[in-house]
Amino acid sequence: MRPLLEVRNVSRYFGGVKANQDVSFSVEPGIVLGLIGPNGAGKTTLFNCITGFYPPSKGEIVFDGQRINGFPPDKVCKLGMARTWQKVRPLAKLTVLENAVVGALCRTASVSRAKGIALEQLRVVGLEQRAEVLAGGLPIGERKKLELARVLATMPRMILLDEVMGGLNARESEEIIQLILDVKKRGLTQVVIEHDMKAIVRTCDRIVVLSSGEKLAEGIPQEIVNDPRVMAAYLGDSGGAKA
Amino acid sequence: MAVLLQSIFSGVLIGGVYALIGIGLTLIFGVMRVINFAQGELVMIGMYCTFFLFKLAGIDPFLSVVLTMPALFLLGAALQSTLINRVLDALPQNQILLTIGIGLVLSNTAMLAFTSDYRILSTTYSSSSVALGSVRLSTPLLYCFLITSAITGALYWFLARTDTGHAIRATAQDRDAAQLMGVNVRNMGVLAFGLGSALAGAAGALIAPTYYIFPQVGGAFTLKAFVVVVLGGMGSVVGATLGGVLIGMSESLAAVYIGSGMKELCVYVIFLLVLLLKPSGLLGKSRT
Amino acid sequence: MRVLLPWAIPALALALVPLFIQSPYALHIFILLFIAVALGESWNVLGGFAGQYSVGHAAWYGLGAYGAFILLQRKGIPPWFGVWAAVAIAVIIALAVGWITFRLRGPYFVLASIAVAEIIRLAALNWKILTNGAEGILGSDLPPLQIAGTMITDWNSKTPYYYLGLLMAVFCVAVNFAVKRSKLGYYLQAIREDQDAAHSLGIALTFYKNTALGISAACTALTGSFAAFYVSFIEPQGVFGIDVSIQMVLTCIIGGIGTVTGPLLGAVVLVLLSEWLRASLAQAHLLVYGVLVIAVILLMPDGFVGFIAQRLRRKAAER
Repeated sequence: MRPLLEVRNVSRYFGGVKANQDVSFSVEPGIVLGLIGPNGAGKTTLFNCITGFYPPSKGEIVFDGQRINGFPPDKVCKLGMARTWQKVRPLAKLTVLENAVVGALCRTASVSRAKGIALEQLRVVGLEQRAEVLAGGLPIGERKKLELARVLATMPRMILLDEVMGGLNARESEEIIQLILDVKKRGLTQVVIEHDMKAIVRTCDRIVVLSSGEKLAEGIPQEIVNDPRVMAAYLGDSGGAKA
Repeated sequence: MAVLLQSIFSGVLIGGVYALIGIGLTLIFGVMRVINFAQGELVMIGMYCTFFLFKLAGIDPFLSVVLTMPALFLLGAALQSTLINRVLDALPQNQILLTIGIGLVLSNTAMLAFTSDYRILSTTYSSSSVALGSVRLSTPLLYCFLITSAITGALYWFLARTDTGHAIRATAQDRDAAQLMGVNVRNMGVLAFGLGSALAGAAGALIAPTYYIFPQVGGAFTLKAFVVVVLGGMGSVVGATLGGVLIGMSESLAAVYIGSGMKELCVYVIFLLVLLLKPSGLLGKSRT
Repeated sequence: MRVLLPWAIPALALALVPLFIQSPYALHIFILLFIAVALGESWNVLGGFAGQYSVGHAAWYGLGAYGAFILLQRKGIPPWFGVWAAVAIAVIIALAVGWITFRLRGPYFVLASIAVAEIIRLAALNWKILTNGAEGILGSDLPPLQIAGTMITDWNSKTPYYYLGLLMAVFCVAVNFAVKRSKLGYYLQAIREDQDAAHSLGIALTFYKNTALGISAACTALTGSFAAFYVSFIEPQGVFGIDVSIQMVLTCIIGGIGTVTGPLLGAVVLVLLSEWLRASLAQAHLLVYGVLVIAVILLMPDGFVGFIAQRLRRKAAER
């Protein structure tokens, strides 16, 4: 089966800083791919390259057979790839429902039809009771769910979740894990950046490990969890050379 | 050739004043990230102070600077602690509107107090000039430039050599880090606005002998100060100095070679070009 | 349709006013009000919904004014045709400006908008052959309006201006209303709230910002043309000056940005207040604007309407 997303030798430089260096991996349709690595490894930078916030300095991003280097974020979203943000970005002065409607309007020009789609996604994440609350007034757990509902409303084929469990307690994290598994059942492909290893192991089919901008390892959860290189990257290896 | 030199020199002279206003603006922006739309009105107040000190007490404008600067400092500090300080975390657009409001209050209060009549401050040397080779420099402008340089030099020394100056620069670079290192950032804000106002007041005092004085004169100075600051780089004192001189020169050259009506147009076109091509300016930090 | 009822009643009431009130001064105040409402609602589309604070909207106001005026004075084209040409010119220039300046964010965009308006003002001031420069253009008598041989008005009283003004104000409010509930409205508000998030949700930023600007500039230019013909005299400072731009912004800030009723309320407050104070403060009535804007920014950043809405929401939450 052709991979839905292919990252081919992607590098991204900021001046002299090599945020991503020669990273390659593919994502088959329907799987959940985990993207892990210590802070500063370049995970969010990679997301930004993939979704069009800046183009890769080198390499290619191919989505469903189409080279999307340099496509602006809105075009990437319309093609079917949506992302959430590490630091949540609710549209604060709009209600929960209106937030989701903005997402749904990606696929329709009719506000009433968009409301229908939006309500459905709110139901999926469990926020339908909060539809009329201003997004700016939500606690962090609900903000994360809202962001998920919002991207789901864009009817994507693939979603990229950037630390969607960051800052959540055990119960909230469990809810998110369930949502990821539910979304997977609907056939959506997911790439998940996460620090919570237990969650990663439970949800992901495969894991890519980044460290200092480079791909360190790739494999199934069992392999990665037992890989000494991965542990060293997180704890800092004996030389401490990598920044 | 003489005309070219002449216009460059006059441009540099007046550019010094633009630099002074711009430095004030950039200090305020650097420390608090607030764009002070009332900067020109502070200049206007400086002009009126100078005018009345001259008319009522006979004090020469270039000497009364030492009175005007502290007075404007106090005004600026008061404005900051009562009004500006409360919007430091608000939307930048709201901050701008607040300072626009302050500017409106200042200019209209001046209108009520002094009427919109144009005032002219003429000293004995208002129309005399000094010869420097083939170039004639207007005496008031020359004094103006000398004092501007002195003030700017003093400011550089203050920022580079004193503890408080370092504290201001630290706050401008990274507010949180400065606070963690024991800098009272709230006081730095007051200080920055006070200083910025003092510089505006000084500029007003120095150009009072050469400009018409009326309540609405501030607006044009505010806009010009923005051009200076954007050109030099928001937050950069050296940039504002450079920007001021460059704008002064461009204005002067444009007036001579294109037409005096077009000189302002030229300045705004430069402004737009800088905003579009290099918004961080010549020397600025590119943080929007 | 039900939603429109609360609007239809005051509109009808206003339509009946000239039958009962003949005082030219009273009608004049109403016309000023209509102009202020139209301008506020026009600015609101770009500034309130899309969050792009232009402090240079006088550019479009003045282009509408000069465009229609020049067409009448030089080419004899009656205003009811000339206005549309002026609006078209304003929109074209606005879109060009938008294309260049919308890449700027926040305060930089504000500064650019001011620079553009100043450039256009200075151009009008210096292009004496076209605009008569600082002397301005004095309007001649408007040709009588005739439709199918019947004379509708010869423009000799305030009444036709009253009705046109009312129509224009209602139109601008209606535009706001329509935008707010449409896909465009949702997208503009998303851009206002978080531009990057909006971008990632499939919103083409420049396209939608430009759409808002186009609508906003068109309505502003339309109002500018109307105001020009009503006052019958235009000069660069009066129509392109930064005061005009600032007043438009203040109307919305005081009333409440991003709402449909906010600019309406703001316009009423500002016009009535400045007329009332014109007697005592004369030209310094802008002082009131300054004080009001300071008070609103410090105490009610969402304007009167926002403040009231917040109060209502809090009461509802307490129950």
